[in-house]
Formats: sequence, structure tokens, C-alpha cells
Amino acid sequence: MCWIEYQVLQLLGEDKAVQLHAVEESFTGTLSDKIINSSMVMLAILIGLLTILTWHFTRIYTTKSLNSLAYGLRNELLQRPISRMWNIINSTTEITTAQLKLSEYVFRRYNKPATQAEQVELYEVMRDITWALFASRKALNAITINYKNGFVQAFHRDHRSNNTFYIYSDLTNYSISAGGSNEINLLSSHQSWKDQSIHGNISAIWYQEPLDPVTGEKIGKAKPIPPDDLIKIAGLSQVPDGVASWHVAVSKYTDSPLLSAALPVWDPSNESIVAVVGVTTALYSVGQLMKELVEVHSGHIYLTSKEGYLLATSTNAPLLTNTTKGPKLMMAVDSEEKVIKMGARWLQGAYGNNFSQRHEIHAENARLGQEQYFIDSFFLKLKRLPLVGVIIIPRKNIMGKVDERAFKTLVILISASLCILFIGCICIFILTNGVSKEMKLRAELISHLDARRRAEASSNYKSQFLANMSHELRTPMAAVIGLLDILISDDCLTNEQFSTVTQIRKCSTALLRLLNNILDLSKVESGKLVLEETEFDLGRELEGLVDMFSVQCINHNVETVLDLSDNMPKIVRGDSARVVQIFANLISNSLKFTTSGHIIIRGWCENSNSSFDIGKFPLNQKKSRPAHKTKLKEQGSHTKKACKQDNRMTLRFEVDDTGCGIDPSKWESVFESFEQADPSTTRTHGGTGLGLCIVRTLVNKMGGEIKVAKKDGPGTLMQLYLLLTTPVDGTEQHCQVDFSKQNLVVLLALRGRMGRLIMSQWLHKIGLFTVEASEWNELTQILRELFRIRSSVYNNGFDAQFSLSEPLSTKVMNIKDMRNPAFIILVDIGLLDLSTDIWKEQLNFLDSYFGKARFAWMLSHDTPNAIKMELRRKGHMLMVNMPLYKEKMIHILEAVIKERNLEGQKKSSNTLRTTKEGDLHEYLEIDATQFDVASSDDSDISEIGSSNSVSGSQTGEKRRERLRKPGSSGYQAINNCLVELTRVYSEENYSTERDPCHVRLNSHDVQNEEPKCCTRASLSSEAQSESSEQHLVISCPTAQGNIYSSKAANEQKSLEGVRILLAEDNPVLQRVASIMLEKLGATVFAVGDGLQAVDALNCILGAEDCIRESIFEDRNTRTQTEIKDFPSYDLILMDCQMPKMDGYEATEIIRKSEAGTGLHIPIVALTAHAMSSDEAKCLEVGMDAYLTKPIDYKLMVSTILSLTKRTA
Amino acid sequence: MLGLGADRLWADMNRLLALLFHQGVLDEQFVQLQQLQDESSPNFVCEVVTIYFHESEKLLKNLRGLLMEREFSDYKKMGIHLNQFMGSSSSIGAKRVRNVCVAFRAASEQNNRAGCLRALELLEHEYCYLKNKLHELFHIEQQRLLAAGVRYPMQN
Repeated sequence: MCWIEYQVLQLLGEDKAVQLHAVEESFTGTLSDKIINSSMVMLAILIGLLTILTWHFTRIYTTKSLNSLAYGLRNELLQRPISRMWNIINSTTEITTAQLKLSEYVFRRYNKPATQAEQVELYEVMRDITWALFASRKALNAITINYKNGFVQAFHRDHRSNNTFYIYSDLTNYSISAGGSNEINLLSSHQSWKDQSIHGNISAIWYQEPLDPVTGEKIGKAKPIPPDDLIKIAGLSQVPDGVASWHVAVSKYTDSPLLSAALPVWDPSNESIVAVVGVTTALYSVGQLMKELVEVHSGHIYLTSKEGYLLATSTNAPLLTNTTKGPKLMMAVDSEEKVIKMGARWLQGAYGNNFSQRHEIHAENARLGQEQYFIDSFFLKLKRLPLVGVIIIPRKNIMGKVDERAFKTLVILISASLCILFIGCICIFILTNGVSKEMKLRAELISHLDARRRAEASSNYKSQFLANMSHELRTPMAAVIGLLDILISDDCLTNEQFSTVTQIRKCSTALLRLLNNILDLSKVESGKLVLEETEFDLGRELEGLVDMFSVQCINHNVETVLDLSDNMPKIVRGDSARVVQIFANLISNSLKFTTSGHIIIRGWCENSNSSFDIGKFPLNQKKSRPAHKTKLKEQGSHTKKACKQDNRMTLRFEVDDTGCGIDPSKWESVFESFEQADPSTTRTHGGTGLGLCIVRTLVNKMGGEIKVAKKDGPGTLMQLYLLLTTPVDGTEQHCQVDFSKQNLVVLLALRGRMGRLIMSQWLHKIGLFTVEASEWNELTQILRELFRIRSSVYNNGFDAQFSLSEPLSTKVMNIKDMRNPAFIILVDIGLLDLSTDIWKEQLNFLDSYFGKARFAWMLSHDTPNAIKMELRRKGHMLMVNMPLYKEKMIHILEAVIKERNLEGQKKSSNTLRTTKEGDLHEYLEIDATQFDVASSDDSDISEIGSSNSVSGSQTGEKRRERLRKPGSSGYQAINNCLVELTRVYSEENYSTERDPCHVRLNSHDVQNEEPKCCTRASLSSEAQSESSEQHLVISCPTAQGNIYSSKAANEQKSLEGVRILLAEDNPVLQRVASIMLEKLGATVFAVGDGLQAVDALNCILGAEDCIRESIFEDRNTRTQTEIKDFPSYDLILMDCQMPKMDGYEATEIIRKSEAGTGLHIPIVALTAHAMSSDEAKCLEVGMDAYLTKPIDYKLMVSTILSLTKRTA
Repeated sequence: MLGLGADRLWADMNRLLALLFHQGVLDEQFVQLQQLQDESSPNFVCEVVTIYFHESEKLLKNLRGLLMEREFSDYKKMGIHLNQFMGSSSSIGAKRVRNVCVAFRAASEQNNRAGCLRALELLEHEYCYLKNKLHELFHIEQQRLLAAGVRYPMQN
């Protein structure tokens, strides 16, 4: 079920993770692309905009200002020829007007000339006036006067030849009478004037006189010319309505058009026209000006008449066309100058024929031919002669530079922007590349985190799984063990069955241990293993271990030797269970691969640098202390402090075996999980390969190292060191008896070579003489030798038929020299021949030395009872179990010395001696087995983490206690309990005295409870041997023999008098727990939830203030035991999950209420959750310990005891 | 009768217990419980188990009620019930019931209603089985006690 659940969880987890991953991937992929794209587009747009704007502004503003400038220029350009034109026209008008006025004046003067002479005079005057005017105006082409009678006077200036002529008609042709007719036909004068003049003109002969242009003197002869040949004389026809008229004329002799004006001269009465005055001006000068202007500014300018005839251009192209009828004005469209022609056409095309009607035209982009031009036209309004001026300027001239600049700027801008774009793109690319790289890294990181999370989750699942599995695996095992216990407790088993079942039970325990190993490993690997710090006796633990393994060793024919140096600290702080586990694994490993030979566990202490001084203490304490003290003083307080803190020891160990050894290449890998040096070993030796791995992790955890070291002989040498602290007071070496002065001689008759060797070396070191023997024959030989010599005083002639080897004999000789030596003979039971009955003979032989030496027997675990009985019968009371180590040896020596001293005091009391020996013997055996119990306890307890520290110290304490009072332990313990009980009660008196209200209530309890307690106590103490056995089966299923009985009985009532408040909501658990506790002698008060628990406690706290005495008086006689029952609790068992108020909350409240009082009621948590986090929470809220459901009997007892003892 | 019967019944009881252990219905906690029973509390196991049955039936009823609700959502309350059930089951050593409770709780933690229903079925089944077997056990025990009462005190 759990497995499936686990898988489902895992699947769920994976699914989620996959989704997450996909999202991440798409997220990062699109994001980086998007960023690149969008940023590039943005950049492009930005740069484009910038470029366009820059270009636009520079261009538009320049163009605009230039345009306005250009417009001004063109205007100016055009204005000037126009003003010149205007000038010309004006001057012409002025002249004409002047002429007119003068003529009128003259005519008034000579009104109605009557005679020819007067007529001639008039003409003369007119000629002079006219000349004056003509001479004053150099620009004038001609001035003409046409009289009514047809007479013509004219001055003409030929600009080409620079000649001036006077033209006049023949005077004779004109009579004065004509004037008369004029007067007659006033109304029709026009008609007659005209006809006459036409006629007259045709018939008239004109004369041309060259004149001096400056003076007007006649310089040549007059020559007749046909009328109207040279110049056109303005006649009446030009002034049809009697007002001034303008027109453009052409003449044969000039290639430029002429501007002629005509005005009629009225007679003074203003009734008729007497003459017509005409002024002709060449437009040549306008053309000149235009040319000049154009030379400076380039381009073309032309003037046309309203109809489109060219009047003046800035070019040299002819303005007139020669036709058969003489020169004629040319249309601008037909001009020979290409530009003018095209311009005129363009204007015509764009604005039609009557474009001149519109005042001004400004065209900026007229395309003429290949080039662009500005075309502007101006309209000049003159009466009867409207003029149009057109100016054509190539755009290039004005805007050329600007356009070029604009183009260049554009090109530069575009190229610059392209460059920027390119660089920007590269930048963006690089940038985004970095960003995307970072993104990728981030994505990777996220996925890594995810992976880590998953890994953590899976390891979480794993640990959960393991926790579940541990339960799943342990439960069947526990069931098996429980069933076996049932079987064992069944009386109807035969002996054989019983032993088999016991064997099965052992095996199951081993299997359980293996499971624990696996779980340990996983615990260590997941980092959850916490090493506890308790004081323990390392030497004793190792001895116990060797004891345990020696049983196996003997089966294997392997010798186990424990060789601890004397400088090993006795008490160290550390995790005893784990240390033992290390060595157990190492030894069992060695044992597995060693078929014959020996396994030596060596241990010595190596002081770490920081505590070098301190380390010396145990060795030569007394001597060095004064010196050391002074040294300390010199060094100051700093070192003192350091010394106190840093009493860390490096303890080095070697486990040396003579097994098959490990290949050097595998020296490292054997410490890996599931790794064995040779795959075949699993087949031959079994095992999982977990042991060494656990060892290494544990050793590393204790700050040490382990490695396989090189060894000379066959086998393996494991070297390891551990860093353990030694308590400051624990460094005190137990006071050893100085054996060297006791004149002891030890004969080691042991089969195991190594053990013997090491033991004899050590004995030598402490100043004892040793003789070694390895077999029976040697023993007998030495014995004979020794005691022969002794007795040789009496029996000199005895000859030794056995010859001793040289070193042995010298030893014997040395011993001979000693005064009054005491012999101790250590005999290995294996030296006796047990296969036959010879051993009895051998014993008998040894009996002969009984008085001379003390015998100590080394028994092995399978020594038959018969031999033991026999030995006991013969008075050999000093028996120890097989592996011989220092502690045992010391015990033996001490026993012997004590006995000798006793003997010295009262030589007669033989019986006493035997009882003493009996005590000692028992003591030794108890000691050995006691360890077993302790170790099994430890191994059980070690699964539950920190709480075992309590029990560890507990057992240790108990053991020590036991050591102090061997023998009557059972009674003693009960007595202790009773003593304690009464003491507590008497203490209670004080408080109960003051609470009148509660005593009555509790007195029932008192009465009910007390007799029960008493009877139970007495019962158990009286019928101890019986009930203890029964209890043993119940409470401590692992126990197998009588030896345990006293301990079990002790434990059975170990909670006598302890008052426990049980807060538990579950009625079943409540009942079970209370019964359990009551069985142990505790008084239990059960409450249903946390609130009640708090209330119950508050009652006491409040009650302490009350005073009550009266009731106390009533029961004065029995106070000591009876008024015990005011419920001040020694301990609270608190369920964690309860209705109304849970355990955590209740604990917090209790702790808070205690805060001022200095009280501290131990609170033990009870919880169904066996996870370490719950434990942490429990301890955090102020609970003192932690028990899991279902309640483990032993653990609970030890926990409660440790807590209550601490407070008591 | 006379003494022999008691031994037979004792053997029967052991056999039944062994069977229950083999099936995994009970675990060592039950043995501990039995060990707690002595002269001072002769009917302790029976008493505790009766409390357990009483308590469990209430819890089962509650659980079924909770699960049968139409709009069922109170998984937390169910978890509390289950924790209680688990606690009491494990303290009398009813291992299989406890295991089913564990599964049940897992289902309820995942808000898996179908799983919860299945687990409830299973739980009821296991509970009935346990109840029957324990009743049988107590029955034998009673008989044994009756038979043992026949014995003469000197036999002890």
C-alpha cells in the first residue's frame, strides 16, 4: 500500500515538473526572439524617422528661404527692365506732351496765318521748337509733325549710323486755302483732312536733310525721299478720336521695334485738329538693359505686347521678321531664341493664350527641354499698350546648389542612418545575444533548481518510504520475535525445542539488526543521523563487544584479543551505540574472513595538539600537577580556558586479523555501499557489504578516518581514529592497585598465542612476573619446575625429567629468587582434554598445587556444566569467561590480593573466603551479562534518536550502581524505592499541610492507593524470586536466564511513587498507558485533553498558597505515607493531538505559567507521528522528551525514570 | 475438563493468536497489552478492547457519515478521525486496521474520494474481522478462565 502511494506521489511530482519545464522552455525561446525582433524594428523606425525629419527640415527650410530670396531676385530683375520701359514710355509721353504744348502755343501765336510768309514762319518756329526737343532727348528716334494741310516736318535719328536727319515735305504743294476749306467744313473736316493728306502725301515729295546731331545745323544737301519711306509720320489716322495713342511700330532701318506715340494738336478754339505730333522711341535700350541684367544673373528676360509680340529680349535674336511687306513684329512663340520660344510655349500651354490677363505668374518648376526653369511673368498695364514681361531663370542657377546640397545631405544622412542602423543592429544582436545567453542560463538554472527540487522531493519520498518501510519491515520481525517470545514463555516445550526457539529468536534479532543497519545507512546518507553526546566507558563497551564476539571466535577457532593501552581515557563523551556499532561491524567483518589465527583490537590514545598538556594528566597526574599548575599560571587564563574546552582526544584503533586480506587496489572501494572486495565473498561468506560503509560514515561523522593499512603478514589491518571528548572529571584514572609490590607471579596457561603474548607483555609492564604455557604438558612442566624448586628445600634430589627451554628456565630462576611470591595460575579450560575423562585426572593433578597457588579458570561459553560443577566443587571459584583482557585480569589480581590479605588477617576463616570468592565470581558473571542487556537495550533504543541518550546514561548509571552493591541487588532496589517514596512523601507533607480543600478529596485516593502500594511493594520484595521471573517474561522478552531477574524486578517497580498526569484523548490509549504506568508503580491521573491538563496543573500551583493544618493533625500518626496524595505531578505524558487544546499548546501554557516559579515539570510528548520534525516541534515548545505510539514499554520506563530522577 | 481443558484452551488461544499474528492482524503491541494484564487488572485486555470497539464504531460511523455527505469536503476532520483511529488501533496492536487507516489517511490527504470510499470499505471489513477474531479470543479466554478456576490452587 505504502509502495503504491509512494509511486503515485512520485508520478504526480514528475507530471507537474514536466509541465513546468515545457512552459519554461517556450517562455525563454520566444522571449529572446521577440526581444531581438522588436528591438531591431524599433531601432530601424527610430533611425528612419530621424533621418527623414532631419532631411526634411534642412531641405524645406533652405528651400523656402531660398525660394523667397529667388522670388525677390526675379522680381527685382524684372522690375528693372519694366521700370526702364516705363521710363522710356514716360519720357516719350513727356516729349510728346511738351511738343504738343509747344505746338499749341505756336499755333496760338500764329493763329490763322494769312500769308505764305506767316505760314513759313510758323513752320520755321515749329522746326526750331521741335529740334530743341529732339536734341534734348537722345533716345528719341524721331519726332514728327503732320499738319492739317499735309505738310510734314520730322527729325529722325539713325542710331546705327548715328546720323540725324530733318525730313520735310515740299512746301509748295500746300496752300493756305486749304485752311479755308477747313474752316468751312468743320464738321466734316476729318474727312477732308484725311483725303487731302492722303492725296497730298502720296503726291508730296519729301526731303531729307542731314543735320549735325549736336547743333542741328544743316550739314548736307536735302535730297528727296519717297514719303513714309524712312519713317512713319503719325497722321490723323493715329489719333482717330482725338486723344493720345500708342503703338509699336517697326521701321525698315532699325531692327528693334519702335514705340510711337501720337497726339493731336487742337487749334486754340479747340474745335479742330491742326496738326498731329508723333514721337518714336526705339525699344533698343530696354533690350540693352535686359542683356546687362542677364549677363550678371543669367537667364532670359523678354517683353511682349499683349498680343504676344516680342518687344524686347535679353538676347541678340532678331525681334523682327522680314516679310515681303517689310519687317514685321515677331511673336514670342516664334522667337529664334530657343529658351524664349519654349518658355512662351510653356506659358501658352499652361495658361492659354490670354495668360497675360492674369497679373502675375510664378512657376517654379517649368521643365523646358532638359532643364528646369523658374518662369515669372508680370503684367504691365499701359493705356492702349499693355505689356507683359517674362523672366526665365534656370532653376540650376538659384536652386542648383541647394538641390545639390539637399541631395548630398540626403545621401549622407541615408548612409549615416544606414550605418547607424547596421551598428545598432549589431549592438542589439550582441546585446540580445548576451541577454538570450543569460536567459538560457537562467532557464538552465531554473531547470536545475527544478531538478534539485525534484531530487529533494524524491529523496524526501525516499526517506518517507524508508520510514514506512522501516515500520513495514520491523513489524513482521517484531511479530516473529513476539511469537517466539510467546513460544518461549510456553512451558510445554522440551529443552531442545526451547534451545531451537532461542536460536531462532537470536537469528531474528540479528535480522532485525541487519534491517536497522540498512536503515541506519539511509539515515546517515540522508544526513538525519545525529550523534548524541553522552559519557560512556569506552573500554567497557569494547570489552563487552569482545566478549560477545569471542563466542563466535571460538567456533571459528579464532582468538580475539583486546589490547587497549593504559593511557586510554576511561570515560569519554560520544555516541556509545555508534562507537560500538563501528567496532561490531569491523570485528564481525574480520571474523567473517578469518578462519584461523587471531583478531586483535588495539587502541591507544594520541593527544591532539591543542590538548597536549591535558592529555598528560591521566598518565602521571600526581607528579605533573603542581608543575603544570605553575605553568598554567604563567601562560595565563587564555590557555587555561583552552585546556578546559579542548580536551578532545584522538583515539587510534587498529583491528588486525589474519584473514584472507584485501587486495590493495580494493582498499578504498571496500568502504563503498554494497561493495565487497571479492564478489565471490557474498557466496562464501554472505553479507551485504553495508557494514564497512556504515563504519566509514560513522567514523567520518565522529571526526575520524578509517583506512586499510599495509600489513606484513597475511590478513587485514584496519586503522581508524576517532575524535572524542573526555569529560574534565572523567580523565581521572581509576585508582589501580600497584601490583608490582605484591610479589605476584602469573602463570598464563592459555591456548591463544596472541592473547597470551599481549597479556604477558602488559603484566610485565605493570611489574609482574609471568610465565607462559600454551599446552597442558608445558603447564605441568612449569608447575613442577616452579614448585619443585620451592619444595627443593625439602626434596633436593628430585630430578626433572622435563627440560625447560632456556628463557623459561631463567625466568623460573628469577622467580625462585623472589621472596614469598604469590602464584596465580590462569588456566584455559581448553588446555584440559575434554573429549575424554582425562580432564578429571588433570584437575586432580592441579589440585595438588591448590594450596600453593591461586587458580583462575578461563571458561569458554560452551564449557559443559559438569566441568563447572566439578571446578566449583573442588573450590576453584575464580572463573572468568574466555576472552581475557586487562579488566578481567585486574579483577583477578585484585581478588587474589584481597584474598591474600584476608588470609593474612584471619588465616583460619576458610569458609569466609569461599563465600567471598563466590561473591566475586558472581560479580564477574553479572558484570559480563549486564553488559549484554545494556547493549541490547542500546541497540533497540538507538533507533529512536536522541532519547536514547537518556536511557544510555540510565543503564550506565544503573550498572555502576550495581557494581557498587553486588549481590543483594533486588532487595536493595526495592528498599531504595521505598526510601525514595517516603522521602518524597515527607517532602509533600509541607505542601499538603496547607490545602484543606484538596486533602479531603484526595484522601480517598490516599487510602485506596496506599495499601495497594504497600502490598505490592512488599509482595514484590518478599516473593521476589517468583514474581520477578514472571515479570521478566512479560516485560523483558529478551531475557533468558535467572540472572536478569533482579534487574527486571527492579525495573518492574521502578516508577514506584511517581505521579504522572496523562493527557490523552483516546480512551484506548489512555487506558493502556495508565495500566502500563500503574504496573510500574506509578500513580496515574488521566485527563481527556490539554485544557484539563492545564487546569489540573493550575490547581496545584494555586494550592501551594493555601494553608491547611487541621486535617494534618487528624492524621498525624500516618502522615508520612498517607498525605502523599496531593497531586503535584512528577511528570506529564502529553498526547500531541487532542481536541480543544493540543499538546503543544498545553505545554506552552504550562511552561509559561512555570516561568516565574522555578518549577519544571517534565513533559513527555506522545505522538503517532514518528517523524523527526515532530520531535523537533515537541522539544521546541518545551517538552523534555518524546515517545511514539504505540508506546514502547522499555523506552517509556527509561525516559520517565531519567526525567523524574533528574528533578528529584 | 479438570485442568486438561484449560491447557487445551490455552493452546487454542495461542494458536489463534499465532494465526492473527501470521495474518498480520495483530502485532507485538497486543502482546504487550496482554503482558500488562495480571491479578490487579484481570480483565484489562478485554476492557481496553471493548473501549476500542466502542470508540472505533463511533469513529467508523462518523467517517461513513462524512463520506456520504453529498458535498463532501471536510477532509481535515476525517484526517483527525483517522488519526484517532490509527492511534487507538496501534495501541491495541491492530496492525491491519492501522495500515488501512494509513492508506485511508493518504487518500484523504490527496482528497481522493473514491480512494477514501474504498479504504472505508476495507477498513470496515478489517475491523469486522478483527472484532470477530478478538471476540473469539476473549471467548476462549473466558472459557479458559472458567476451566482454570477448576484447578486447585496447589498446582501453582
